[in-house]
Amino acid sequence: MATHSDAHEHHYHPPGLQHQFEDMGQQQESGTLGMWMFLVQEIMFFGGMFTVYLVFRSKYPMAFAAGSNHLDVYWGAANTVVLIVSSLTMALAVHFAQLGKRNLQVILIIITMILGTVFLGVKAVEYTAKYKEGIVPITGLNQRTEKLFKESKEGTGTAQGRVGRQDPLESLNTGLGEKGGEHGEEHYTNVKGDFQWKDTSLVAIAQEGNYLTESEKIGYFNNGEISQVKFQDKVRIFFYIYFVMTGLHALHMIIGLAIMTWLLWKAWRGTFTRDYYAPVEITGLYWHFVDIVWIFLFPLLYLLGRHFGGGHG
Amino acid sequence: MAEHHSRVNDVVDNHEDAEHHIVSIPLYLMVFGVLIVGTILTVLVAFIDLDHIFPGANTLVALTIALVKMTFVVLWFMHVKYSSKLIWLTALAGFFWLAIMFAFTMQDYLTRSSGVFTR
Repeated sequence: MATHSDAHEHHYHPPGLQHQFEDMGQQQESGTLGMWMFLVQEIMFFGGMFTVYLVFRSKYPMAFAAGSNHLDVYWGAANTVVLIVSSLTMALAVHFAQLGKRNLQVILIIITMILGTVFLGVKAVEYTAKYKEGIVPITGLNQRTEKLFKESKEGTGTAQGRVGRQDPLESLNTGLGEKGGEHGEEHYTNVKGDFQWKDTSLVAIAQEGNYLTESEKIGYFNNGEISQVKFQDKVRIFFYIYFVMTGLHALHMIIGLAIMTWLLWKAWRGTFTRDYYAPVEITGLYWHFVDIVWIFLFPLLYLLGRHFGGGHG
Repeated sequence: MAEHHSRVNDVVDNHEDAEHHIVSIPLYLMVFGVLIVGTILTVLVAFIDLDHIFPGANTLVALTIALVKMTFVVLWFMHVKYSSKLIWLTALAGFFWLAIMFAFTMQDYLTRSSGVFTR
């Protein structure tokens, strides 16, 4: 009875108000709180993966540094900027929704979606490069280079025009590139599409500088000699973590874009007013959260080993 | 009845304060500027060897910059600065549980003998 009379006292009854709430303020607060509860579990979801990262990196810092140095800083940094700009445009979309300005709201949601798509495009380019280089940690998901090997031995002009050309050979930075031509091609054959890692130079540097961890002294060596196979396994762990974390981050981006498609439709129809803009605000919270995850992923995945040995790679 | 009524109104008043704050565009642009500067800084610093000072210095600097960037996003882009105490508490609780997960996991791994994973 009391709630009924209250609702009528306020007599101004916005169209977006659900009957269980006193007013738009309470409704908005409830929605925001609910979203934050979801974001807290998202923190724990990504937190689990950050914990895996923490455990393995503390054990094998040099393997992580070697893998990290091989990622493309320029693409990574560019994507960071793209995501920050998209966070700004999303924040501005909320701003104009709060002011009840439909057109600017629609334009800014569209720009945010374009930037999100650019981010995913860059990730696709990066993943493709990893596929060609043979450093996707799952056997069979790398480019198989047996054919390339045969054709380049024949040395015919037509063969060069076909399979992926020089890219998989030239861009392979797994150590053998420096050894040069004549035997190089043999080593690059990857019949099964397996994960391949040859460069153990960082282990030698760390051994010289005497800062290998105890687990590294066991994990990289075989009878006192640096073991390429054992080191490869540890670098593989880094790339597992890289693909799972960036992959799930990208999945969050895709879900965000799907939500924004719906949001755009609603905004287009002029659903949101000064009083009812909660969906824009809550989508904004989600998008900013995804941005925050990337703010941590970028330095932890792309930058962690750049200061070793002049950051070659 | 009267008591109930006033309590409801108090809550409503709280919301009015919390929800109708609109962050100005110049402030958004300033936060954006901080985020961009932070990104440039974190890339530049990564190529300088700070581990000579103490091991892990590079990572510490990178994480500090990331934490500052996160704080700006949470407070202004996500409007937590202008939100109710309940939202503050919820956000902080998330990071508190995360800290528990990190701390309790690492107090185990870091105090074990080496070679747990390789043998």
